[in-house]
Amino acid sequence: MSETMPASERSYAVLGIFDTPDALMQAIPKVRASMLGAVEAYTPYPIHGIDDALGLRKSPLGGMVLVMGILGALTAFGFQYWISAVDYPIITGGKGAGSWEAFIPIMFEVTVLFATFTAGLGMLFLLNKLPFFGHPVLSSKAMSSITRDRYALALEAEDESFDSGAALRALQAAGALEVEVLPAPDRSPFLTSDFILRVLGGIFAACVVSGLAMYFATKWFPLLKPMVYMQDQPRLNAQKPSGFFKDRHGMQRPVAGTVARGHLPTATGTQDAAAALVNPLPRTKEIFAVGRKAYANRCEVCHGALGNGAGSLTAAYGGKPANLQAQQFRDYPDGKIYWAIVNGKNAMPSQAADLTDAQRWAVVHYVRALQRAQNAKDEDLKVATP
Amino acid sequence: MGRVTPGGLDDQVLAFPETKPPKQWYFALAITLSAMFIGLVCIGYTFVTGIGAWGNNSPVFWAFDIINFVFWVGIGHAGTLISAILFLFRKRWRNAIARFAEAMTIFAVICAVIFPLIHVGRPWVAFWLFPYPNQRALWTNFRSPLLWDVFAVNTYFSVSLMFWYLGLIPDIASMRDRTTSKVRKVIYTALALGWRGAATHWQHYEKAYLLLAGLATGLVLSVHSVVSFDFATSVVPGWHMTIFPPYFVAGAIFAGFAMVVMVLVVVRETMQLKNLITDRHLDVMNKVILAMSCIMGYSYMMEGFTAWYSMNEYLHHGFMNIITGTYGWAGWLTISCNILIPQILWFKKARTSYFWMILVAIGVTIGMWFERFVIIVISLHQDFLPSAWRIYKPTMVDFGILLGTFGIFFTLVLIFARVLPVIATTEVKAILPDAQPSHHGDDHHV
Repeated sequence: MSETMPASERSYAVLGIFDTPDALMQAIPKVRASMLGAVEAYTPYPIHGIDDALGLRKSPLGGMVLVMGILGALTAFGFQYWISAVDYPIITGGKGAGSWEAFIPIMFEVTVLFATFTAGLGMLFLLNKLPFFGHPVLSSKAMSSITRDRYALALEAEDESFDSGAALRALQAAGALEVEVLPAPDRSPFLTSDFILRVLGGIFAACVVSGLAMYFATKWFPLLKPMVYMQDQPRLNAQKPSGFFKDRHGMQRPVAGTVARGHLPTATGTQDAAAALVNPLPRTKEIFAVGRKAYANRCEVCHGALGNGAGSLTAAYGGKPANLQAQQFRDYPDGKIYWAIVNGKNAMPSQAADLTDAQRWAVVHYVRALQRAQNAKDEDLKVATP
Repeated sequence: MGRVTPGGLDDQVLAFPETKPPKQWYFALAITLSAMFIGLVCIGYTFVTGIGAWGNNSPVFWAFDIINFVFWVGIGHAGTLISAILFLFRKRWRNAIARFAEAMTIFAVICAVIFPLIHVGRPWVAFWLFPYPNQRALWTNFRSPLLWDVFAVNTYFSVSLMFWYLGLIPDIASMRDRTTSKVRKVIYTALALGWRGAATHWQHYEKAYLLLAGLATGLVLSVHSVVSFDFATSVVPGWHMTIFPPYFVAGAIFAGFAMVVMVLVVVRETMQLKNLITDRHLDVMNKVILAMSCIMGYSYMMEGFTAWYSMNEYLHHGFMNIITGTYGWAGWLTISCNILIPQILWFKKARTSYFWMILVAIGVTIGMWFERFVIIVISLHQDFLPSAWRIYKPTMVDFGILLGTFGIFFTLVLIFARVLPVIATTEVKAILPDAQPSHHGDDHHV
């Protein structure tokens, strides 16, 4: 702030108006030679050769764009490689996780994207320092003709010693049709309390608005139809009522007579009829092991470890399970024992739900082994001895 | 029609948005808004009932939505070609039509992105398409051409928008300085960013424009190439071909120029721009259409040649389907609209006659739409497994959405024509006679 001169009397620049590009170009060297201040031209469109006439340095935009373009390519490559090969490696199409050929299209696109934004926004914001609405030329009388069809040359004040009268004469001497003195912009203190209050108010309003917007975008909007259609499916839920069936139960019993896989019933008639069934399993070590395990799990508590009807439950409850060592049962054909396992007999419940068909026949084999072990004959020993 | 002067140009073009629209404009807007409304209803119906509202079936999972996507992205390519490639080649006649063509690019890409978004079925989670860190600890698959598409189309849209806006800034500054309406003044002031035409600014501006043109040139060639990868990298006979990228790019420019010719003819007639968009412009654009038509003809022949020369029975079957199959009519419609009808443009009379150029432009638009139909539906409906073959039939909802995007496109075109300068006045001013200092070489003049 100058103490000696009020702002309104100081001038920012003097503007001279020309009506042809030729007149402008001829005036530039003369005005520059006057050495009264910095020279700037204002034109409705770019004029060829004006950069050299004004002595402007080359635009650095090309280098900026090149650097940012390369950065874009490297960013895209690094990002894709890290995701595809390091953080989330998935083999697609038989290619190795780090094979880079497929990254090229996106590298190209990101390169162009970075370069474009550098060229466009870098030119506007960094090099041209736009947006700038307070420039003195914008409020000049000549502005509307400059963006139309006139060419202006400005002699700009560089320091306090700027002589606007001399500048005016220099421009006229160079052939300017009209001249205009632009007053320096009023440089009142920038950070007034009123301004700070307004900025704070603006920030507060922006917070409230964006907070509300985020609330609706995340809490309210996704719960609207049809966004919730993925949850809202016409299906039956276990333990939940359903209007689909008459009894309004979601879970339904299987249809009467349903047979589970591998549980096709084979002994549905009487026990005598089952006598004809033949044990399909061979008498091997493995089958006996299966039978022994199944017998231990399902039979032993009542029939006893030796099959003699003296299981541990017998003592506790006083029941009378069959003594499988009795002559009656030793004479049973395999099918009748199998029938008893499937259907149960007297107090004995059916074991069909707990033993598979193969396990039942293995148990039959094992019971036969128990009977023979308890009633061994001399020739059995001979057979066993090699 | 007198000589065009810089001031006269402003009075003619920039004053237009301040005048009251004629009745015909409202009438046209009513039609396009109705079409748009039909489309929006159909899209809403799709959201409520699901994708089953469309004709898509197995194996034709990709049908109208991808056809329309490829069609609209293609329409946009003329704008970028005109604004970028022709700029680099210093074809200065492009200055008069670049603005409108660029605007059409942006509107066409808007129409195009609607289709993948609604095809995913849940557009409100469309952000899943982008690789962003998330709670599900999932990343996108960078080997998928569909993801390349996401990047290509988004880049294309951003770059086109940037290019368009940069070109508009000096024009909006002119409008700011001539308007008397207070509301317009505020809007234009904000949009022009305080542009004042300083020589130092023009220097960076021209550099930025040149760089953008160079970058956008790469984009024109890449975007439709990437779109074609969606098909070419698959194993479907009729898609798995190396000719696809150049073939798609040529087709895109072809369809785009047809649309530009169609719209510009209406614009120059209704907005009295005959002195700026001259017969020569139409003549040159029709020559481009003719050249592209010849490239398309070559591509179609190469498709047949590949089917024959490869001795691949699947490829052979696919090609025979195009000319003799259930959809053979679509194949022949494509060939006649894209290859036969445009041949009339060999005659200068046809290139400067509204009747013939509109006929060709409409034919090319229909033909290029059906070309994508041929590529997508014919290839998909019969591939390797005969037990999976199925006939595809679009539903009314499909047609409604297609109509809707035409509505959106022309609504945006109509609004654009009323609120922004349809001619890049700054660029045209720079190439008028006496616009440049006389000591300078005249290689920059038209």
